[in-house]
Amino acid sequence: MKRLIALLTAGVMIALLAGCRKQEASAQIFAMDTVMGVTAYGGSAEKAVKAAEEEILRLEDMLSRTDPKSQVSRLNGSDGAAVAVDEEIVSLIREAGTYSQATGGAFDITIAPVVAAWGFTTDTYQVPEQADVDALLAAVGMEHVTLAESQVTLERGTEIDLGGIAKGYASDKLEAIFEEHQVEHGMVELGGNILLIGSKPDGTAWRLGVQDPAKPNEAAYAAIVQLEDAFAVTSGSYQRYFEQDGKTYHHIIDPATGRPADSGLTSVTVVTDRGSGSGTMCDALSTALFVMGEEQALEFWRGSDYAFELILVTEDGRVVVTKGLEEALMETKESGYTYEIVS
Amino acid sequence: MRSSPKLKPGIWDALVALIVLVMAVGCACAVWTGDSDGGGELEAVVRMDADGTDTEIRMRLDGLNRVERTVTSNGYTLQIVLTETEAWVEASDCPTQDCVHTGHISRSGQSIVCLPARVIVQLVGGDGGDPGVDAVVG
Repeated sequence: MKRLIALLTAGVMIALLAGCRKQEASAQIFAMDTVMGVTAYGGSAEKAVKAAEEEILRLEDMLSRTDPKSQVSRLNGSDGAAVAVDEEIVSLIREAGTYSQATGGAFDITIAPVVAAWGFTTDTYQVPEQADVDALLAAVGMEHVTLAESQVTLERGTEIDLGGIAKGYASDKLEAIFEEHQVEHGMVELGGNILLIGSKPDGTAWRLGVQDPAKPNEAAYAAIVQLEDAFAVTSGSYQRYFEQDGKTYHHIIDPATGRPADSGLTSVTVVTDRGSGSGTMCDALSTALFVMGEEQALEFWRGSDYAFELILVTEDGRVVVTKGLEEALMETKESGYTYEIVS
Repeated sequence: MRSSPKLKPGIWDALVALIVLVMAVGCACAVWTGDSDGGGELEAVVRMDADGTDTEIRMRLDGLNRVERTVTSNGYTLQIVLTETEAWVEASDCPTQDCVHTGHISRSGQSIVCLPARVIVQLVGGDGGDPGVDAVVG
């Protein structure tokens, strides 16, 4: 009889254990000019994913440059007048200014009118006249932006585009939502921005493929990195571009010249641990370091107070990886790239 | 001091232990290899998100000769072709044509996205998935 009870008890316990499978929820969302994927395991996964969807749409409404009703659009149409906006926007613009200063202007949200002149905002691509670009550059720079507690003033001719950090900022907000709902494992894919919560549900590290810039439409990777609890963001010249008269023009505009950055890089991936850095930081730095080019980017990495690692893909077929990612890196031999670890 | 009685496991104890072990392994298998997109046959999933309404079409590719589906979403029309091994967007009247330029997809996990039409064509299931990565950054 005792054996029978023991057997039944063990059976019930195992059945309960099987029922402990982590709750899983996922969603795909069209927002911020891309498709976003949100997946959560454990905790209140379904609530977390729903809240994440709502947050993404809220941020899109607030930060969109193309939606005339957004706060950013109201700012850009202010014609030099002060505009009352949410403190959240003021805070985000202030943070953008910090990255602009740290990178010597290589990241600059006021480059917006120049990007628009190239047609990247509207998909009506064109090569603008240099004189027009120079005229627009006169209003580029954070010194043309004045911030108050809940008010922003853009000088006449100055416009901002928070698209360079909006997805990174969204990933930070989603991280907080996942924490609030006690999500144990999760992945957020916001265009080229990735947030990883914990490990995979099976306890192993997530494997991220770094898109091969030479094969943007294929499942081809310049490298694979194994990560947990991390943010990863890539900026690449292959992500948006057009060709005219046999020449390719991409969307990452150098604020110093008003032209697509010609830095010798085809992509920059910035990785940071959760807790050490943020998605916003990765987003801003990936753009800035692309503009800087390999040498300056590595110099910045070595001397920066920001905690991050880099994967640089160069035009001459090299993948340059900073020391902190050495163990996480998996080379993709079939890609044809050569690999360099730098410290 | 009184010593504990010596335990003498018998055949019934071994049987109980064996049954518990088998059940544990079974449950573990159920937990760790349960429902996921990784198993079964390769399927094409076409998702449309127009005017806040999600629509999904699923189609098994196994044994499929060649099927053309025309979908209209968010004001744009896409001509999607599915075969036993591949899916692609043959034509679209969207302004960017990114969906057409993406070309053919053939492995589980791959997708074609048309942002203007808010359409995703994704391959799921099957054994031909990309075992290498969980996500792509870039």
